Amino acid sequence: MSEFKSGFFVGGDSCNGRVLIVDDEPDIRKVVRMTLQKAGYDVLEAENGEKAIEVINSGENRLLLDVMICDIRMPKVNGIEAIAYFRENYPRVPLIVLTGFPDTDMATSLLRQGVVDYLVKPVEGETLKAAVGRAMERRELAPL
Amino acid sequence: MMDWTTSEGTGAAAASRTIAHAKAESERSNPLAAHPMRVAIIGAGRGGTALLEVLHQIRAIEIVGITDRDSSAPGLKRAQELNVPVAGRFADLLKDQTLNLVMDVTGDPTVESALRQQRPTGVDIVSGQASRLFWLLVQHESTLQTELLHAEKLAGFGSFAAGIAHDMNNPLQLILGMAENLADETNIEAVHAQALDIIDAVKRTTAICRDLTSYSRRASLRQDGLIHVNSKLDEALKIARYAVALQDIEIRKRYQPEAVVKGNPDKLLHVFVNLITNAVQAMEHHGTLTLETTAAAGATQVRVSDTGCGIAPEVLTRIFEPFYTTKPPGKGTGLGLYNVKNVIQQMHGSIGIESHVGQGSTFTLTFPGDPSLGEGDVQS
Repeated sequence: MSEFKSGFFVGGDSCNGRVLIVDDEPDIRKVVRMTLQKAGYDVLEAENGEKAIEVINSGENRLLLDVMICDIRMPKVNGIEAIAYFRENYPRVPLIVLTGFPDTDMATSLLRQGVVDYLVKPVEGETLKAAVGRAMERRELAPL
Repeated sequence: MMDWTTSEGTGAAAASRTIAHAKAESERSNPLAAHPMRVAIIGAGRGGTALLEVLHQIRAIEIVGITDRDSSAPGLKRAQELNVPVAGRFADLLKDQTLNLVMDVTGDPTVESALRQQRPTGVDIVSGQASRLFWLLVQHESTLQTELLHAEKLAGFGSFAAGIAHDMNNPLQLILGMAENLADETNIEAVHAQALDIIDAVKRTTAICRDLTSYSRRASLRQDGLIHVNSKLDEALKIARYAVALQDIEIRKRYQPEAVVKGNPDKLLHVFVNLITNAVQAMEHHGTLTLETTAAAGATQVRVSDTGCGIAPEVLTRIFEPFYTTKPPGKGTGLGLYNVKNVIQQMHGSIGIESHVGQGSTFTLTFPGDPSLGEGDVQS
């Protein structure tokens, strides 16, 4: 199922899907990119919620973005605000939270809002890839 | 507007007009401050020094002088720092016509008996066991204040959890990700670059631990000395960012390079962390935090300003009371500003607040200045 969708949107088996990582720490974006690129994903980066909104609204990303990974504590538009925006405007794109602070109440609230996974740093590469894989199965077709 | 000016000689010349005004208001409402009890201290050893420190903080008491047979007694040096007159003999102190009370902490029966013989009319003498009792109470009060400060500091660590987790887990994520990648990395240049990244991340986590363990330690009186205010404010910013999110706060620094004060560096750091944390919380994560220092011969001033919600007048009158808090239960001890006030008083300084609801607040700390600086040498 997921292979069919990937092929449909990004045009071939060479790319498993397009993932946007939103984190204010360049180091985090770097390791997430490294891990997911090795697993065959196309990785986009944004340093905060505001930039993420720009990225998702630019060009073909509106149609081709498969998964978003979002931090919570960020400048300008923080993770909570960004997630609310994404859920409202791009409900088809599954969201994974990758945060430095384990907060049960926040995790519960975000999962209720439709976030598919709540990961606490540091997270192993295999766990991250598995979460992205699960999220890929939850995504929906973009309206053409 | 409130004020806790502790004594004369606190650099009132350089203090803002609002602070000076508040002091005058306070003296009108407190006749004891306008007509203080005049006390002489006999003995400048440990007991005399402790007594001097405590009495010097009490607005309603003026120390007319201190003396000791031993000219190298520690209390005499401290008295000079506090601008308290040092007398060669106790008889010189008894000559003061306005003297109310003599406190003899020598524990020497011959001094006590000589004092009673030479006591001018209307002057009371506290000596012997009564004096010892007083000294024990002073010690007890000092211990309580130190413990309270430490307890409040440790209680505040709970609010650091999110900041610490964020700052620790980010470099840990980098280390884990890089190490996993290194396991099958064949490009030697990439291996080299990633190893350097890991070393850098480890250094960052180490710095976090170092900052926090240093901040959590108990303040030691032995460390009292000259403190460079600007670097202490920068250190406080580093600590405060664990308690409050600073990423959306614009920070403006207007530092005068030679701003120094005398006191305990750990306690002053705690004061700054408290004021910065409060300022950022008042802005609800958006606004401008201004840290300003000025230094002149008269006074060294530190201003912490925010563009936050401001403080309502009815809150302003109670803000330094112990256990008073406007925060939800479990979020504040109500001891933060109470301890701030105590530390400032111990440093013979004063604290003033100017606040406008909806516009923000400025906390102004005024300390006795460094006489080596020229008057009016104040940076805008």
